[in-house]
Amino acid sequence: MAMFIAALILIISTGMFFFYFHAICQRILRREFDKDYYLAIVNANRLEFPAVRRAAESWEAPVDYARVQLTLRCDYLALTYLLKHAVNVNRRYTRQEWLLVVYFRTILLLLGLCHKLGLGERSAILNLAAILQYFANVIGQRVSALRFGELSATDYLLSI
Amino acid sequence: MDTLATVTQYTIYLLEAGVLGYLLLRRRERSLLPVALYLALLLVVDGLSRPLVLYRYGLTSLQYEYFFWLTDILLALGAFLLVCLFFRRACGEHRELWQVVRLVQIFVLILVAGISLFSLSRNFDHLFTRFIVEFQQNLYFTCLVLNTLLFILMQQLQSADEELSMLVCGMGIQFAGPAANLALVYLTPGQQFGSELYRHIGPLFTLGMLLTWFYALARAPQFGRVAKPQTTAAELVSAGRGEA
Repeated sequence: MAMFIAALILIISTGMFFFYFHAICQRILRREFDKDYYLAIVNANRLEFPAVRRAAESWEAPVDYARVQLTLRCDYLALTYLLKHAVNVNRRYTRQEWLLVVYFRTILLLLGLCHKLGLGERSAILNLAAILQYFANVIGQRVSALRFGELSATDYLLSI
Repeated sequence: MDTLATVTQYTIYLLEAGVLGYLLLRRRERSLLPVALYLALLLVVDGLSRPLVLYRYGLTSLQYEYFFWLTDILLALGAFLLVCLFFRRACGEHRELWQVVRLVQIFVLILVAGISLFSLSRNFDHLFTRFIVEFQQNLYFTCLVLNTLLFILMQQLQSADEELSMLVCGMGIQFAGPAANLALVYLTPGQQFGSELYRHIGPLFTLGMLLTWFYALARAPQFGRVAKPQTTAAELVSAGRGEA
C-alpha cells in the first residue's frame, strides 16, 4: 500500500512540477509591451511565426507539420541569436529568457510527441508562437531604445 | 558533480540573503511579513545552523543526520504555514470565503501537526529508516495539494494579484520537486540512487523557488509597464571597442 501511495505521489508531483513550470512561463509571457515591437523585428528578419500563428488560430485545413516545425525552429534560432547579440553588452540571456528557452524546447519536444501520437498540436503551436513573439518584442524594445539621428532603430527598420 | 552541488548551495545562500535584503531595502517586509519570516527561517536553518552542525560533527555523523531531517520537517511546516497565510491574502476582498477557508485551515493545521507529532513520537527510536522519507514525502505532498488548491482558488476568483500568483507558483516548485524526489527515494531498492538524486537535485528546487520569488518581487508589480532597455548606444560602442 505504501509503495502504491509513493508511486502515486511520484506521478502526481512530477505532473504538478511541470504544471507550475508552465504557469510561471505563462506569467512571464503575459508581460505587456507599450507597442508591438515585434513587428519591426519580424519584418527585418523575415520571420514567419506570425503567419504560422494565424494559420493555427484559424485551422480548417490540415497543417503541414514538417514545415511548421521547421519554420518555428528557424525563427527560434534567429531570435535567440539576436537576444544574445543584438543590443546586449553581456552577450547572455537574462534569467527569464533562459527559462523561456527551456520552455520553448520542452514544448517543441512535446509538439513532436503530440504529432506522433495524433493528438492536437494547435495549442502547442500557439504557445511556441507566443514565446517567439515575446523574444521579438524584447529585442525590438531594446533596439528601439537606440536612436540613429532623427530615427529610432525600429522606425529605421520599418522604413526599409 | 560535487563542485556543482557546492556552487548551487552557495547560490541558494546568496539568494536567500539577497531576497530578504531586497524586501528590507524596499521596505516591503511589513506587507510581505510571512515571506520575510519564511526567508529568515530558511536563512537561519539552511544557511547558518546546518553548516555549523556539519562543520562541528561531519557529514556522516548521526548528529548531522538528525539535525538535517528534523530541520527539514521544520522548514516544511514553515512552508505549510506560509501557504495558509497566502490564502488570507488571496481571500482579501472575499470576507465570507475567508471565514470558511480559515476554519478549514485550522482543521488541516491541527490534523497535520497532530499526525506529525503522533507518528514522530511513535517512530522516534527508528526515525532514520524508511519512516522519515515516507513522512517527509507525505508532508510535502500535503503542502503541494494545499498550494494547488490556493492556485485554483485564485483562478476562480480571477485574482489580479500577479505577485501572489508568482509566489504561489514558486512554492509549487518547492513542494512538487521534493515530494516527487522523496517518493522516488522510497521506491528505489536500497534507496541509494534516490538519496543521491535528492542530495544533488533537491537544492535546485529551492533555487527555482527563490528565483521565481525574486522575479515576483522585483518584476510582478511592473507587469504591464515598459521594462528598461538593456543597454545604451554608448555602452555598445564602448563594448565594441573593448572587443576590438
